[in-house]
Amino acid sequence: MLYEIKESIILSFDALRSNKLRAFLASLGVVIGISIVIMMGWLLGGLDKAMQDTFSVIGTDMLYVDKWDWTGGDKWDRLRNRKNVTMSQAEQLKELHGSAEYVIPNINQWATTIEFGGETYAGMTAVGTTAENVHTPVGNLLLGRFFNDFEEEYGSNVIVIGYLVYATIFQGKDPIGKTIKLNGRPLRVIGVVQKRGTMFFDFIDRQMFLPLKKYAGIWSIDKRSMSIGIKAGLNKDLDEVRNETIGLMRIIRNLKPNEPNDFSVNETKAFEKSIADIRFQVYTVGIGMTLLAFIVGIIGIMNIMFVTVTERTKEIGIRKSLGAKKRSIWIQFLVESSILCLLGAFLSLVICSIIAYLAATYLPTYFPEIGFLLPVLPTELFIIAAIVSVLVGLLAGLIPAIRASNLDPVEALRFD
Amino acid sequence: MPKTIIDIRNISKVYKMGTQLVHALRDVSVSIEENEYVALMGPSGSGKSTLMNILGCLDTPSTGTYLFNGTNVNELNDNELAEIRNREIGFVFQTFNLLPRASALKNIELPLVYSGIKKYDRLDRAEAALKSVGLEDRMEHKPNELSGGQRQRVAIARALVTSPSIILADEPTGNLDTKTGNDIMKLFQNLWEKGNTIIIVTHEEEIALHAKRIIRLRDGLVETDEINQNQVTFN
Repeated sequence: MLYEIKESIILSFDALRSNKLRAFLASLGVVIGISIVIMMGWLLGGLDKAMQDTFSVIGTDMLYVDKWDWTGGDKWDRLRNRKNVTMSQAEQLKELHGSAEYVIPNINQWATTIEFGGETYAGMTAVGTTAENVHTPVGNLLLGRFFNDFEEEYGSNVIVIGYLVYATIFQGKDPIGKTIKLNGRPLRVIGVVQKRGTMFFDFIDRQMFLPLKKYAGIWSIDKRSMSIGIKAGLNKDLDEVRNETIGLMRIIRNLKPNEPNDFSVNETKAFEKSIADIRFQVYTVGIGMTLLAFIVGIIGIMNIMFVTVTERTKEIGIRKSLGAKKRSIWIQFLVESSILCLLGAFLSLVICSIIAYLAATYLPTYFPEIGFLLPVLPTELFIIAAIVSVLVGLLAGLIPAIRASNLDPVEALRFD
Repeated sequence: MPKTIIDIRNISKVYKMGTQLVHALRDVSVSIEENEYVALMGPSGSGKSTLMNILGCLDTPSTGTYLFNGTNVNELNDNELAEIRNREIGFVFQTFNLLPRASALKNIELPLVYSGIKKYDRLDRAEAALKSVGLEDRMEHKPNELSGGQRQRVAIARALVTSPSIILADEPTGNLDTKTGNDIMKLFQNLWEKGNTIIIVTHEEEIALHAKRIIRLRDGLVETDEINQNQVTFN
């Protein structure tokens, strides 16, 4: 049996070689179907990677107490009317919290200006925070170090800059020890945060971190709502930490038992939802298109296999007269239709690899929001494409193969 | 006493052509023993092709029994018939019926593939068969690179390679000129002299005369079945 399959493979290549154009046209439907499967897998692969990257930016063990809700679940005008999350609330929370590893207040000032080397740069975000922020994903530094407790305590003139700030201002030159002017105040650069931005967080690399006390010396910390970062610690139960956080914040903000929360506890889960939505859309569109393409593809292959069986009727007769059993005949045709589809899959993989590479390399320049595309197709797609194509080939070849194996040898031998 | 290879008793074959029933064979009984050289003769429509198909286990009779080496062929299923064709019967056709894309050697190997013989064994046997028909220098040639006579020799080698009980040749010289046809008939004579059992189906008197026994069919009946007193042999 194994030998018959091997022999059939050689025969199939012979047969396909003598009918290249026909084989190509016949497998076009399968090529399209498999291409859609591959492209779908590729998009989802990119999304998954973007999601993982995003999670590592935010930190899967991090909660953020905010006035705003990341999911946008509530009405914006209702959120706007919430009271600010203040510095004193952050301090109380830090004081009272038992289950959290760290409680880290953050306050943002958007659209600051920086002067360095005679140039002015706009659009960077200053973040006032504590030294404990080094324990969050912000603490993964490319260069230098984060500011320490001492510098925090004294509100030293130090700043840790995001990757894009570094790239824009210093353009690869060593920034450590250089002094930049933030809204006119001179600050010494002591560290650069690793590049973290993804499709969901392109702004994140424009952040700069300075001690809260220093921040308070430049901007008022009472006018803006804070974001309190809470690190649960990887071994802690996030639910427990979340429950304590909500309970404490309700007490701190004097909420009555029947009042809803007037703050949000944000976490990476918010993004799981939006990614799941995109996934669902890709799946629905993709599966619909795939089914359609495969139906067309299977009909195409089946049709060409019927033609092949008819053309080779005489050959089938000869083989039967020499002692070929039904099995040998249907194996031969099933192998041939599978190989036809497998070659189609190969063609799809080549085409899709080129598309993926070009799309991931050049498109994000024009459409930054699709920066999650992978330049190389995930390996498992190659295996999936191979298996799917062989299954399609077997399915499409089944009826023609059975018809071939059931041919009457006398009739078949008479065929011209 | 020589072994009986083919023993058909009262077989008939009826085809349905539209609403009409066609009696291709009516109550035919023939017995063929080991190392016989038989010519099956008759004009077209006499039923000789039908008989050949039944003898070759390509077809089964409507009624009657067919014992092949003692096995009742009527009771065999498609796969078992295929096995008999593979092991016991070597076909030689008028139009050679070689696979066009395969080399001479590959064509000869094919029946051995279906009997599950190992690769190296197959090659040895295919080469030996090709040598026995004098074509050892044409192993890798494709059928379209061979002359008609050479093609028929390849076909005969293919029929011989499984060492079958009978060689069943259907108009083996029909597509060849007289000289080449004679060469092929000489080859059959050699094979017969070496102990093979040969059945040649033909409508040509000249060809039939090479056989030792001639069975004449007409309208689906055996007209005569006698020893050929004037057997033409080659030296």
